[in-house]
Amino acid sequence: MLYRRAGLRHTRYEDERQLWPLPFDRGLVVLVLVVLVAAPLLVNRLYLVSYLLPWVIWSTAALGLNLLMGGAGQIHLGYGAVMAMGAYGSVHLVRAGVPFEFAMVGGGLISACVGIVFGGAALRVQGLYLAMATLAMQYVVDFVISHVPMISGGTQATIQVPTVRFLGIPVAGDLPTYYVALIICAIVTVFILNVGRTSLGRALAAVREKDYAAEIIGVNTFKFKLLAFWISSFIGGVAGSVLAVCYLRAISPDQFHIELSIQLVAMVIVGGLGSVLGSFFGAALILFAPIVLNNLIGGIADGLGLSISTDLRSHVPLMLYGALIIGFLLWEPLGLAKIYNNVRNYFFVWPFRHAQR
Amino acid sequence: MDSSLIIELAINGALIGLMYALVALGIVLIYKTSGLANLAQGAIAMTGAYVTWAIAYGVGAPIWLAIPLALVLMFGVGMLIERLALRRMIGQPVIMAIMLTLGIEIMLRGLLPGMFGSAVKRLDIGIPQAPLFVGDFLINRATLIGGSVSLLVILLSLVFFNSRYGVVMRAVSDDQTASWSVGIRVERAIAIAWGLAAVTAASAGILWGANQGVDWSLSLLLIKALAIAILGGLDSIVGVLIAGLIVGVVESVATGLIDPLVGGGTRDIAASVIILLTLLVKPHGLFGREHIERV
Amino acid sequence: MKLNRRRFLAATAATLTMPATIDFASAEEKVIRFAMPQDFTRVYTFVTAEYSQGQRDYITLVNERGGINGYRIIADVSDHGNDLPRAIEAYEKAKREGAVLIDPLSTPVARALVPRALEDKINMVTAFSGRSDAADGTAFPYVLPLSPNYWTQAGLLVDYFRQQDKDLKGKKIVFVHIDTPFGREPLPILQVLSQKLGFEFQAFPYTPPGNDQSAIWPQVRRARPDWVMFWGAGVGQTVAMSEAVRNGLPMDRVCSSVWLSESDMDVIGREQVKGVLKVEPCVSGKDPKPVQAIINEVVSKGKGAGPENKVGTSYYNYGVMMGAIMIEGVKKAFERNPGGPITGLWLNEGLRSITNFTAEGMIPPMTVTKEDHQGGGGGRIARWDGTKFVPATDWFAANQDVVWAEIRKSSEEFRKSGK
Repeated sequence: MLYRRAGLRHTRYEDERQLWPLPFDRGLVVLVLVVLVAAPLLVNRLYLVSYLLPWVIWSTAALGLNLLMGGAGQIHLGYGAVMAMGAYGSVHLVRAGVPFEFAMVGGGLISACVGIVFGGAALRVQGLYLAMATLAMQYVVDFVISHVPMISGGTQATIQVPTVRFLGIPVAGDLPTYYVALIICAIVTVFILNVGRTSLGRALAAVREKDYAAEIIGVNTFKFKLLAFWISSFIGGVAGSVLAVCYLRAISPDQFHIELSIQLVAMVIVGGLGSVLGSFFGAALILFAPIVLNNLIGGIADGLGLSISTDLRSHVPLMLYGALIIGFLLWEPLGLAKIYNNVRNYFFVWPFRHAQR
Repeated sequence: MDSSLIIELAINGALIGLMYALVALGIVLIYKTSGLANLAQGAIAMTGAYVTWAIAYGVGAPIWLAIPLALVLMFGVGMLIERLALRRMIGQPVIMAIMLTLGIEIMLRGLLPGMFGSAVKRLDIGIPQAPLFVGDFLINRATLIGGSVSLLVILLSLVFFNSRYGVVMRAVSDDQTASWSVGIRVERAIAIAWGLAAVTAASAGILWGANQGVDWSLSLLLIKALAIAILGGLDSIVGVLIAGLIVGVVESVATGLIDPLVGGGTRDIAASVIILLTLLVKPHGLFGREHIERV
Repeated sequence: MKLNRRRFLAATAATLTMPATIDFASAEEKVIRFAMPQDFTRVYTFVTAEYSQGQRDYITLVNERGGINGYRIIADVSDHGNDLPRAIEAYEKAKREGAVLIDPLSTPVARALVPRALEDKINMVTAFSGRSDAADGTAFPYVLPLSPNYWTQAGLLVDYFRQQDKDLKGKKIVFVHIDTPFGREPLPILQVLSQKLGFEFQAFPYTPPGNDQSAIWPQVRRARPDWVMFWGAGVGQTVAMSEAVRNGLPMDRVCSSVWLSESDMDVIGREQVKGVLKVEPCVSGKDPKPVQAIINEVVSKGKGAGPENKVGTSYYNYGVMMGAIMIEGVKKAFERNPGGPITGLWLNEGLRSITNFTAEGMIPPMTVTKEDHQGGGGGRIARWDGTKFVPATDWFAANQDVVWAEIRKSSEEFRKSGK
């Protein structure tokens, strides 16, 4: 009833191939866009800055990683380092006077080119070795950033981000930072949504499924894996620079550690490999679960008068987080996006109960 | 450069490398039988140390009783992990199973310090701290004993893999379907492999815990162990031994030689650089076997 | 019920608000909020549990005695796990609930929160951590270390060596440190001092977190130093001391920063490291009057915030010390503006007017001014005698001229470039 497919007659091929053929879907997307753009007027400032803004930024990063993991089927355990390079690169460029728009792109380029060096070596062999190579990359980049004072900023090892201007508007305060992050996220989302419809997307799908079979039919596996790696690192670098400018405002080397990489991989897996919506859901879950759980447990403990030792209490988010990853992998390997799809399929034929799909 | 310093660093480095190799042994065992890299190995080592501490200090058992008890318990834990978690992942791509082990690692890292307290704990297995001098070289008594124990365990596992059941496990790692068709109990072999891997990890955890105290940082042994496993070849036990020695020596000597030039911290990235170089030059490691994919 | 993205967002938002409103105090209640998001699970695990216990016990003591001018102090403790998004969320939540002071006890978090604290005028207390140049109150009006920073601690140690050896010319001092910004902080001070006093100085960094220092200490041994300083945290400290013992170095020539406590000694073996030295910013043990008061009025009534055997340990007393200084700031704020609305600015004035405060004999007399947020940089050296830390010197401050030169250099850069 809601997702009505009756009465849809396409007369052109373009209409057949559009991203959201159903009018209900299109309506949903517009609604979400409106809500996100109007968010500063709708929600409390606290929620904007602490919840929406990091969610938007982390979703951008998760989208980049999803291109590599879901699109091309490779593991990347060093995405934190990619974001670090983007952040540091763009902040240094901005401090040198380069306009923010170019600095963002520059940061992305730095991440991409350095990332390629590490990834290229391991792309010749099986995916497991790529995971190890990217893990090694995480540590090496960490080391280089914190040991070269020119990059890390001297003894205090923290670099404050100066106020920048994006398209003429100074990026300071809640609203501009939120909108900058939103715009970048929108651009990346549109890109990723369309990648699947291009020849690049199809080549990546072939490589993901069986790379030697793809090789046989003429898809240059190595080139496409490398390309996916490059694009994904570029997006990660841009996400890193947005993170530095809009959210952190002061960067130090220990913010982009292995935990961040693991968090991002968890976001992608929990959300659903290869799904755009999944990246958003995964980012929301991984980002907010520890906070929500902390508050919940604190509330329950106070309410019931229990005194749980602070030690145990503070470790519960970590436990939950690991349990979430394990749980999703065991019971719903296709992630939150699959759950959403199940619900959507239910509503395809609602109020009838039987779905042919 | 001071040659006696280098020799001393090399000796201590070799012993420490052997202690890392003990953790790597578990990774290789699991890779041989299940075909995936167990990223929870460091966390299992940490669990072993915590469990031993709990038995020895919490319950009050003497240490010579606590260690075997803990090892038996950890064998069970390993089999449990395999049974509950990994078995459901059998049809899935290997990246999912690896992510599952990562999830287990995170959960253990939260569970153990949460249950037992996050302060560093003392695990005393009776090794005196007094220095041991051989000529002009100082040998760290704790690492000497640790290294010897690891060496013993590694040699034992080599012997095991030539025994009857070891041949069974090698068959399973080669081709699971063929093993089934010959009548080998593949699930049992995999479970035992996981149990053994957990035991080796736990013994490494105990040795390291005695060295530095028991807390969450024991799970960081994973990176060094991975470097050793990759360098030696993910499916070769001899490789673990040789690579362990190499990684240990390179790390120690690099710290002595290169640190003054670079300003410190080369130990950090020695493991990572080794991984990268191995992948560039000889991706399957020194002793690993190349897998030829068939369409 | 349509489950679409908007509803999902709304539902998430609803779940998030719910628990957060549980401890919302009404506006009429007389409370002063201190936010204490600290790292209980990741890096600072060795100190946070005891430190937080000490802080909370002291605040409970003050509340039990009727609060300050009838106002209750509320300590909002939570865990940020050294993770910036969580720390920022905790900060924003604290701001919304009207906290006037925040104590993150974490250097990376403190550094990241500096721009926000300065903008929002919330007092950020960075005890023994954070930016060392925040001692310069003119550049960092709302960041208050209120404790000897690492540069001061290094200065104190070097001066102690000078007191022991009468003249450091030609002597060798070795500095073993964790290879992080925290470990590298004293380096500039030590280099300046080595030139000024004529001693030879060598630094040995070790990989964080420091569980494997076996390649460092043989080198230290071979360098045959006169004094060894080790600068680490948690695991790094215990391993450093075990390695020092194993390499046969004399313990009474080995010393550390403030991050050494009885629990560390337990891990190595109390008898093994007799004689090792450390910097003490406050009296340790159960004797100081505030700790006695806590034992009598709080712990014995079962209101303690943690296990009883941790009362009186070094880190516990650091927590009590910081709690006492914060409360003194509140008292002074009331003296200056008795009616004034309880804001960050109000407390800031109070904290900056603390004069000759000794916390009933627990700390050296401390005076905080608009320019000096460190409080004078007093401390003393203590020695481990096998069962507890005994003072080896009196309270003293040393080499503050060198330290302040470095502080000003850094804070100048911050002022200029916003770095």
